[in-house]
Amino acid sequence: MNQRICLLGLNHRTAGVEVRERFALVDSNPREQGLITGRSPIREALVLSTCNRVEIVAAGRGNGDLSLLLREYWSGLCGVQPDELIPYTYVHHDLEAVTHLFSVASSLDSMVLGEPQILGQLKQTYRRGVEQGTAGVILNRLLHKAFSVAKRVRTETKVASNAVSISFAAVELAKRIFGDLANQTAMLVGAGEMAELAATHLISAGVKRILIANRTHARGCELAERIRGEAVPFSNLFKRMADADIIISSTGATQTVIRKRDIQGIMKQRRGRPMFFIDIAVPRDVDPDVNTLDNVFLYDIDDLKEVIEENLAQRRSEADKARIIVAEETEKFATWMRSLDLKPTILDLLARGDDLAQRELKKTMRRMGPKAEDPDVAQALEVLVSSLARKLYHEPLVFLKRRAGEEDAGPRYIDIIRRMFNLNDEPPAPDAHPERRGSGCPGRQKS
Amino acid sequence: MNWTEWTEFLVLSLYFCGAALHIAAVLARKPMIQRVGQILTITGFSLHTLDILFFLTETDPQVLGQGPFYFSLLAWTLIIVYLVFSWRLQMHFLGLTATPLALILFSFATTLNSVEVILPESLLSLWFGLHIGTLFLSICLLAMATSSGAVYLYLENKIKAKSKITGLSKDLPSLALFDKVNAWAVNIGFPLFTVGLLSGFLWAHFTRECIFSWNPKELVAIVTWLLFALLFHQRLVNGWRGRKPAKLAIWIFCLSLISMLSINFFLETPHGFQP
Repeated sequence: MNQRICLLGLNHRTAGVEVRERFALVDSNPREQGLITGRSPIREALVLSTCNRVEIVAAGRGNGDLSLLLREYWSGLCGVQPDELIPYTYVHHDLEAVTHLFSVASSLDSMVLGEPQILGQLKQTYRRGVEQGTAGVILNRLLHKAFSVAKRVRTETKVASNAVSISFAAVELAKRIFGDLANQTAMLVGAGEMAELAATHLISAGVKRILIANRTHARGCELAERIRGEAVPFSNLFKRMADADIIISSTGATQTVIRKRDIQGIMKQRRGRPMFFIDIAVPRDVDPDVNTLDNVFLYDIDDLKEVIEENLAQRRSEADKARIIVAEETEKFATWMRSLDLKPTILDLLARGDDLAQRELKKTMRRMGPKAEDPDVAQALEVLVSSLARKLYHEPLVFLKRRAGEEDAGPRYIDIIRRMFNLNDEPPAPDAHPERRGSGCPGRQKS
Repeated sequence: MNWTEWTEFLVLSLYFCGAALHIAAVLARKPMIQRVGQILTITGFSLHTLDILFFLTETDPQVLGQGPFYFSLLAWTLIIVYLVFSWRLQMHFLGLTATPLALILFSFATTLNSVEVILPESLLSLWFGLHIGTLFLSICLLAMATSSGAVYLYLENKIKAKSKITGLSKDLPSLALFDKVNAWAVNIGFPLFTVGLLSGFLWAHFTRECIFSWNPKELVAIVTWLLFALLFHQRLVNGWRGRKPAKLAIWIFCLSLISMLSINFFLETPHGFQP
């Protein structure tokens, strides 16, 4: 019976936020909750539940539809009828499921294309699966592959480059102006939610100091405490602004708060050191003419949105490249899945033995020189090496045939044998013996 | 070919490869290529140093007045200024202008060998070394300030206009770094330029017994110095940064280029290259 993979899930495209909340699966444990039992065809399962998606990926044997079992399990946990899930969920089988999981890990399926959080969430899911013992040979391999695919996509394409959030775009622009932000001081004018978000980005970008000027001083102090900044009375705004290189303005004021002539004076005090204004307030806080001053740069929310739009478009065009990588890796995974059957493994093992024998035979013949030309000697040698190889591999084969019939252990033993004899032709580990690393292993010829 | 010619040929090819790789690195957006280009340039530079030392020890001081040698020296100075910027400010980007420029200057030095350009005899002395050394250094610093200034203006314009920063301009260093190159060039270059100019006038006083002879070379030099002094003053006292110093540095460099190339080659002055 073949190994099967099944994935049942819903995401931000198939279900609204209310539905996603209703069907979220927090703290699930497929083994304890009866998805993986002695009689169930499902042998392995992982549950990924984030704010934008809920997915159950399972591996097992049997010809039946695993998705029915998954749906039953899911609906049972949420206390609804299985049919209620149908309109919101998608089902992927086998390679489709592999492709889907690879795409999810590479953040090609995310709401914000290329966002990095999903990989962390997937890793967490996997860790929990390992702890609960619900990840076996197939899902171990699948998840490890998914992580490496995500890494490949990240390094080989630009799908995750360029900022796609307002505050991140602002930080990138600041870096373009100031270079390293380690010596820069930022100032928040207004202590709203957006300002706080931008501040956290600035802090992680390494900004030296953050000043906070809010009309309600108490609120400013509160935020200052939270992000370890310094609260400044609003009346001292322009006095302290001379210290700030990056100013993020987000007050609720209906009129201009920061005018050109204020900044002119401040620039004199600063002796021309550049200032970068980020005006995320609507209506705007900073007079647009400020941008005409020398060494003063001003971006308002629309300017930043435009930057993000362009970056998103670039990410979308990179996603096609990423999908090619996903397809390639799915193909590799499919090859590995097929190899988990008994028959190809036996054939590969015999071929490996035969190959080794022939190589050694050739070497010996060369060394023997004229003596090897005697047909009797040559034949005797050949018989010797081939039978030696076959006998050497006999015991592992017998062991494998016996174990392959076992429900759970079969694929695991096949996988172990394949790895032991390197039948998957994987590159040697970096800490392998230098001889192995240098020459590569005596590779089996792929048919 | 004798030993010197071989060295010169090697230096020329290394500078050529260095320049080509610096350009290729920017186009291909691969910093690795730039590293290789820099290593080749440094190798060429070491050989070039040997070549200059050999020339200085072997040559009769009377012949030191040969024009080509000064082109070679200028190329050498340019490379060392670039390497210092690259080392201290991580401003590898300047290699893009420094290496091709050095290549051109050095190829002048090698090809002009056949054309006998003799510098006036009055220019031979240690004084002259001071005059040339300081002026060459400040001109090379100005060259770096010019190229970084040009890119500064381009990038600043893009940021101010909020236009898309894509492709090659994405790899550019920050505005602050470009401005730093300008600051270095002005703070070090201006004192050197002043020393160079003063030593020139003093030398003129001793050899020709007149400090100022109103020839075009000296006039342009005085104007250049005045502009340079203005830039130095404004940066130091009034905190000029960014656009204005970048523009002024470009003008000053253009003036010194005019003074060095056109006047030396085409006009009859004590600096002229005509025999």
